[in-house]
Amino acid sequence: MKPSLIRDNISAYVFLLPFLAVFAVFLAYPLLYSFFLSLNRETTLVNVFENLRFVGFANFAALLRDGLFKWSLLMTLYYAALIVPLGIAASLLLAVLLNSKLRFYKAFRTAFFLPYVLDLFVVGIVWTFIYSPHYGILNRIFEAFGIHAFSEQGFLGRPSTAMPAVVLVNVLKGAGFGMILYLAALQNIPDSVYEAAEVDGASWWQKLRLITMPLLRPITLFMVVVGVVAALNAFVEVFAMTSGGPSVDVGGRAYGATWVAGYNLFDTFYIKLKLGYAAAMSYVLLVIAIAVSLVNIRLLRPRTEY
Amino acid sequence: MNRAHAVAAGSRSGVGLWGRVRPAMLHLGLIVAALVVLFPFLWMIVTAFKQPGHEFDPQFFPRNPTLGNFRRVFSEFGFLRYFGNSVVVAVTAGFFATLFAALAAYAFSFKNFVLKNKVFAVLVASMMVPGLMYVVPQFAIVKKLGWMNTYRAMVVPHLANVFGLFLLKQYMDTIPRSLVDAARIDGASDLQIWRRVVVPLALPVIATLFLLTFQFHWSNFLWQLIVTNKQSLYTVPVGLAMFKQAHEELYTLKMAASAVSIVPISLIFLFAQRYFIEGMTKGAVKE
Repeated sequence: MKPSLIRDNISAYVFLLPFLAVFAVFLAYPLLYSFFLSLNRETTLVNVFENLRFVGFANFAALLRDGLFKWSLLMTLYYAALIVPLGIAASLLLAVLLNSKLRFYKAFRTAFFLPYVLDLFVVGIVWTFIYSPHYGILNRIFEAFGIHAFSEQGFLGRPSTAMPAVVLVNVLKGAGFGMILYLAALQNIPDSVYEAAEVDGASWWQKLRLITMPLLRPITLFMVVVGVVAALNAFVEVFAMTSGGPSVDVGGRAYGATWVAGYNLFDTFYIKLKLGYAAAMSYVLLVIAIAVSLVNIRLLRPRTEY
Repeated sequence: MNRAHAVAAGSRSGVGLWGRVRPAMLHLGLIVAALVVLFPFLWMIVTAFKQPGHEFDPQFFPRNPTLGNFRRVFSEFGFLRYFGNSVVVAVTAGFFATLFAALAAYAFSFKNFVLKNKVFAVLVASMMVPGLMYVVPQFAIVKKLGWMNTYRAMVVPHLANVFGLFLLKQYMDTIPRSLVDAARIDGASDLQIWRRVVVPLALPVIATLFLLTFQFHWSNFLWQLIVTNKQSLYTVPVGLAMFKQAHEELYTLKMAASAVSIVPISLIFLFAQRYFIEGMTKGAVKE
């Protein structure tokens, strides 16, 4: 290698050093260390990391038999099944309303996007107050319409409504993000395309189905991925609002109606202090997340057939 | 042709009754949507001004508005300290995360070095890992380093922001190479080129990244909860969580603390929303 090349390499790596050092210690190494942890079990509750016992793949084997873990995956799937369609619908609705570029367009756009940048934990606290039983404002509104179903337990205390209530908070908070993406896509469709379709006699429905929807498809696929990732990472909203509850009876065992995988991980590691088990759990979640990412890359890859 | 054009123009620019009704309906829809999205925050603010014990009054506007809730969260419940901690953590983390990303992005955009493509591929791959995955091992590392209950523990593990690196690299790639080459011919070192040419030109994106990392750390609740158990180090969301556990029934105080905690981000957002929106959506879908 020429001396000037060596100098160039050194100077490049000096620029990279702070970033790569943090990356190596706090992002790359943890993945390896986590794998090591997943093969161990803690033997004490103090100095946990100095008192580990190698157990091979026992943690993973235990996960396969763990009813609570399977339940948490099911609840994560439920979370995703709610947030994906609701998130897309809310974002698209806001985008379509804004796309007409009416007066105060910018003020509305600001209003819709603002909740997205706010702290999810705080938003959860505020909603818990709104969802309160008895005198909570939302229950009062329902009672005004003669609905007393939420008077006693509120919206978060009923097993059937707890998860939808939690997800709704995230949908309303995040809708502004999807809205911006849909809005940009809508505004990228030239008017001339619609005009040409109208000349050909296309109806309102045909224009929506044959022009608008296909052109929004990449955004919609992206929103599916965002929703699934949100479900896999869901923790703060559950911690703020329900702590995993309320309890439901499933074949004689009590499970939490909002006990998603992220909350289960937190509970295993922070409350029960089972670090090895939690590490094994996060590896399973990682595999799921990577599978989702790969499907995403496959779906979002630009099509080449034209 | 003429007729078709007239029909098309008519249906698009809106003539007749529908042309007048449509904007009104759209406006109504926008107002309803804005009320639904913003109601929780309005309700939080008005409740924060209500007298303790009157938090469930259904009136929208408090009857005897008081500032007492705010006074009490600050003086009695330590939120002034939590607020200060949040500012320290979010500002230092935002600053260093942006600095490190700006340095690394320069290397990726303007330099050639051994293993460049491999390093890049590893960084891309790391973006697939969900954040929760890191919590357990990062906690272990922080504990082993003896960093528990320090600002360091809250800040340092998140200073390698891969998304931020890509955001800056993408922008730096659009800076004309000739500018950098000219500086190099004039004898400028890499550090001088970075500081005098590249950073000034990339300033809008650098500002964006700072805002995004500031916002991320302002609400990085789970991590801050895990690495601190000393009250003097609580950030606002952690303080709020502890307050919630201890005083479930003090709703007016909880709403006052919540309102205070979202003020900084809301203000920054209102003044710099262009940067926020561009930064947050740029990484999303690439054309």
